[in-house]
Amino acid sequence: MSSPTSRTTVGRVNRRARLALLAVLAAGVAGCAKDAPQDTWQPAGPNAQKIQNLQYPVFIIAGVVGLIVFAVVGYVVWRYKDRGQAIPEQTHGKPALEIGLTILPALILIGVAIPTVGTLMALNKTSDTQCVINVTGQQWWWEVDYPVQEGCGGVSGVIVTSGQMVIPVGTPVLVRGTSRDVIHSWWIPRLNGKRDMVPGRVQTNRIQADEPGIYSGQCTEFCGLSHANMRMEVIAMFPDDFEAWKANQLEAYTSPEPDTLAAEGEALFVSQCSRCHQVNGLEDADGNPIVSRPDLYEYAGAAPNLTNLMTRNTFAGSSFNLLIPQCYPQVWDAPSDTVGQEYLKGVTPECLNSVELREWLRNAPAKKPMYADPTKLEPTDGLYRGMPFLGLSEDQIDQLVAYLLERK
Amino acid sequence: MSDTTITDPGVSEPDPDDGATLDEATDGTTLVDEVIPTATDGSRSDDGLDHLGLAHHTSTGLSNTKLGMWLFLGSECLMFGGLIATYMLYRNRQGDAIGPDQLWDIPFTSASSFCLLMSSLTMVLAVSAAKRHDDRNTRLWLITTASLGGLFVAGQVYEFTTFYREGLGYTTSLFGSSFYTLTGFHGVHVSVGIMMLMALMFMLSRNKVAGDKAETVEMIGLYWHFVDIVWIIIFTLVYLIPA
Amino acid sequence: MAIIERPVDAPATDGGPAVVATPSSSFGYLRRPVQTKGWRSWAFSVDHKKIGIMYGVTAMVFFIVGGLEASLIRAQLARPEGHILSADKYNQMFTMHATTMVFLFVMPMAAAFANYMIPLQIGARDVAFPRLNAFSFWTFLFGGIFINTSWFLGGGADGGWFMYAPNSTTPFSPSDGVNFWTLGLLITGVASLAGAVNLIVTVLNMRAPGMTMMRMPIFTWMGLVTQFLLLFAMPVITVALFLLLFQRNYGATFFSVQDGADPLLWQHLFWIFGHPEVYIIVLPAFGIVSEVLPVFSRKPLFGYPFVVFSGAAIGFLGWGVWAHHMFASGLGPISVSVFAVATMAIAIPTGVKIINWTLTMWGGKLYFSTAMLFAIGLIIEFTIGGLSGVTHSVAPSDTQQTDTYYIVAHFHYVIFGGGVLGLFAGMYYWWPKVFGKLLSETIGKWNFWFMIVGMNMTFGPMHILGLQGQPRRMYIWTEQRAGEGFFNLAFWNLVSSIGTVVLVTGVFLFLVNVWHTTRKAPPAPADPWDARSLEWITSSPPKEYNFERTPTVHALDEFFHRKYEDVGTGDQHEYKKVATGEDVIAEEVAHADAHIHLPSPSYWPIMLALALPIMAYGVIYHTLLIVAGAALLIGSVFGWALEPSTAPESDFDPPSDGGETSKELAVHV
Repeated sequence: MSSPTSRTTVGRVNRRARLALLAVLAAGVAGCAKDAPQDTWQPAGPNAQKIQNLQYPVFIIAGVVGLIVFAVVGYVVWRYKDRGQAIPEQTHGKPALEIGLTILPALILIGVAIPTVGTLMALNKTSDTQCVINVTGQQWWWEVDYPVQEGCGGVSGVIVTSGQMVIPVGTPVLVRGTSRDVIHSWWIPRLNGKRDMVPGRVQTNRIQADEPGIYSGQCTEFCGLSHANMRMEVIAMFPDDFEAWKANQLEAYTSPEPDTLAAEGEALFVSQCSRCHQVNGLEDADGNPIVSRPDLYEYAGAAPNLTNLMTRNTFAGSSFNLLIPQCYPQVWDAPSDTVGQEYLKGVTPECLNSVELREWLRNAPAKKPMYADPTKLEPTDGLYRGMPFLGLSEDQIDQLVAYLLERK
Repeated sequence: MSDTTITDPGVSEPDPDDGATLDEATDGTTLVDEVIPTATDGSRSDDGLDHLGLAHHTSTGLSNTKLGMWLFLGSECLMFGGLIATYMLYRNRQGDAIGPDQLWDIPFTSASSFCLLMSSLTMVLAVSAAKRHDDRNTRLWLITTASLGGLFVAGQVYEFTTFYREGLGYTTSLFGSSFYTLTGFHGVHVSVGIMMLMALMFMLSRNKVAGDKAETVEMIGLYWHFVDIVWIIIFTLVYLIPA
Repeated sequence: MAIIERPVDAPATDGGPAVVATPSSSFGYLRRPVQTKGWRSWAFSVDHKKIGIMYGVTAMVFFIVGGLEASLIRAQLARPEGHILSADKYNQMFTMHATTMVFLFVMPMAAAFANYMIPLQIGARDVAFPRLNAFSFWTFLFGGIFINTSWFLGGGADGGWFMYAPNSTTPFSPSDGVNFWTLGLLITGVASLAGAVNLIVTVLNMRAPGMTMMRMPIFTWMGLVTQFLLLFAMPVITVALFLLLFQRNYGATFFSVQDGADPLLWQHLFWIFGHPEVYIIVLPAFGIVSEVLPVFSRKPLFGYPFVVFSGAAIGFLGWGVWAHHMFASGLGPISVSVFAVATMAIAIPTGVKIINWTLTMWGGKLYFSTAMLFAIGLIIEFTIGGLSGVTHSVAPSDTQQTDTYYIVAHFHYVIFGGGVLGLFAGMYYWWPKVFGKLLSETIGKWNFWFMIVGMNMTFGPMHILGLQGQPRRMYIWTEQRAGEGFFNLAFWNLVSSIGTVVLVTGVFLFLVNVWHTTRKAPPAPADPWDARSLEWITSSPPKEYNFERTPTVHALDEFFHRKYEDVGTGDQHEYKKVATGEDVIAEEVAHADAHIHLPSPSYWPIMLALALPIMAYGVIYHTLLIVAGAALLIGSVFGWALEPSTAPESDFDPPSDGGETSKELAVHV
């Protein structure tokens, strides 16, 4: 049934392979990315920390169990190889051993279950939150709004932004979220686990950042074509920086100086963009405030609110940078004591990534996959799920960029 | 045990079969003869009818077709369970459109339910007649069953057209979609049952039913009773319990 | 070929002229097919062995299709901002990859083994409903082809294999892809359900005399549990699929949020099916491994009753854990706690099996055939997948892990490392029985190592990718999210993609092995592995009627006990071989049955199966097709019902060579 040489060859190969497997495992454990922005093992707030406190020992237990199994199998495979021994004892089983080896994993799992339930209950607590921020997912960007409240240090008027949520450091924040179309999921790994954003329901997630910084996240429930391009960040800053941010967001609208490129951009914006993009304070020819798609949306249009676009540094669902590569690290890699100040500087004309912005204005659907052909969207009442191709000339793009640069 | 070539070596625990001792089994004929007849020369042969799966040849005592029907009905429980759960979730979600309270005509539905219930009785009578090899009465009761079933379906059709006229369409609301889907699936099952009954009558009359005729009637009876029981559940949950 | 008659004292012969009978029509519709060679002997066969082979070949083809889809995915993700697939094509690719692998490869391949082996293992000549068996296969084949025609008819389904609503509804998935997916799975679901009824009745009703439930081979036991899971899980996804179908095509509002629908309805219905589904995938592989390990350890399975009960426990508990796929969806802490604890509980019977398998090898006499290597590989790889599963059961931790590559790693380790490795073990183990030739052990070992190294290279790094924040179902990943250092996410994505090449090479080597074996290998003996169970008391390949006479079973591992006798004294055990496999078979031949009736081939199963995709195309394109399909369906059902399962002898004319009577046909495959 077998030849002696093949048996020993296989035995040698078995041993070598087991060593290789162990080496790979070791490399895997050791070789991880440093500072991956969405690393789930680098908690930066109490919610994520509670999860880490639970999962760390569980992983160790799982690792130990795994190594024991590998060791036993490895031993058995070496020790009981066919070396010419007689047909072995035809043992059918040892019930005592089997029962014992069933009870042992059960005990381990009970040991895991109890802190699991405890942590679950602790994580569910949201009564201590002092700041409410609403989040609404839609294909393929996040709308963030701050309702009028006493929390968050007092919010006197509704603040609407998109993609980047700014919070004060050390404050427990209640994120209340829903969706306008399909199921999305809101996830900032370093601050907490994810929570699905389900249309028709409001779900909550508690986050709190211990240190100032920029915390990255992504939509983590498949939501269609550009699911991969639906990202967001949470920026935590010191309380006084946060006050400055809020004040800036609520500043009244100022029109551009007449006869400037930006003024032409404003007119173009009104005619081409305001159907979907809201800019608070923009008025039409009769002096009435322009509200994009009032029938559908409360604060923003069918697209992100651009009132203070240049106070953020990403756009189009946080898929693209508004900062050029030279300016980017100044903000994103800033140490925690200065990151708030750097962020508040916003996007200056010198730092604007006009290549990205212009590409977007020139042909948005080519840059980010979207259903942007109006003729195909009859089932959705013509709703564009994405920015269509507008056919703008380069001059028009210049005007818009100039106008947008002033949205700070 | 010593003069056979078959032994059970070295068990360290009691033999894990269901009590038949090895002695009985090695004798060869004890277990076997209950199931399959032996030929006169002592060799075992199947009598050519194994594949029909008749009851006395099988390990459970149920024929293959009857066991198969029970299993199929088990899976149907899950299917109707899913549909009922969907309905129960959506029964109150009619929005501004018409709702259950304004629609139900309980006396009418009770009458058609009664027809279906009686059809189960006539089905039992048909099975009983088949077991007695009373062909004429078997046919009679089968026709009655199919007719009562047909009356039920007719009642459903009348009801649905009335509801539709009163404003409950399939696409009107969640309540409408889930109501029509649930009762529609049930109605299709009843209709298929009626077709099976008529086909059975036809095949019985032309002597085209293989194997045990009474058992085939009984198997179709099982399906019919199941469809009736599902209706009782639907009638209770959908019509009788107020939304 | 329907009737085998032999003179009582003559031994069974093989060879002899093939005689094709020309039957008169059975009811006036169509003549009975009785060809014994050529494509018609396969298309109209009701023989469980032929059907098993057809399942296996078809599943293998779909494995390659799914593998191509996976390779494209990994090619796209090898580098940041990949350009190999557009976002739309990528979304179709991962949806169809998963759908193909789960529904068109793993499940049918397990069905191939179940169909071929279960009747043999219980000593039966065929399954309970042979025509239904044929119908199951053709329905599966047509359903699988139907889904894949979507590629040419507007694009594949693009909503992910779990197709969450409302993303799967028409406004968000406007192409016909999701319709093809829904209808195709409804069709293959019918196949699975029919197969489940068939195999359960077979196992419960048609066991050989003396084969009590606790003397059944363990593969049959796991197969039985699997069929029960299928029986009860398929109807639930059927409901979900119908709801989606009606929503997309007939205006129903089940998943329209603006009308008040709850999107979580889909999730609950899907996962109540979806979780038992994963046990449907893995239990047959567990069964195969539980056969292979004892044979190549020369010892019985350690703790047979425990393994049986743990399999049944998994089947039972598997119904109570579905919402662990929904931990982040907002169920509320009480529900989440209950499902978390239930998920931990189900790890226990699974772990028991690992222990039992290891202890089977303990103290044994291990021979490392390729089948044995795959079986041992399963123990290791499934342990990894199972342990990562335990880390998911910790629900707070799962809110970080779910929808990331860590989950992708977990399920590939359990499905590939569990399911697929088990199926390959079965192929190497049973190939000589099914095809009469031994697969090359040399090529087999290369096959094995390439697959093991490949799978660990491909799926191992995904643990790291997921824990470090790479979500799944992303058509691109960016440098910005990849972190710093040499071993950043870019590195591991590349390793994973290279691993795919190694894995594909391994699968290719299997095909090379099959090719080489078919052309070059000598015929295999009847009992090449010195095996233990009933299916080996047949020729290789088995005769059409399986057993010369129905065996009588006296113990578990009946075949082993006929070959080996304990000649030790007192407590000492010493096993002496008193008969070879060939001797045991010769004994059976000497007492062969005189009359064996087998069920006859039929046209109706394939005709009925054809009606289903016709109706499905009708739903998408034109109602008239639904009517045409329904007419074919009703006609086929009547033809089937009116046709006896075995053609009566009067259906056969005297043979053309002028032999004695129609009864003396001896036709050999």
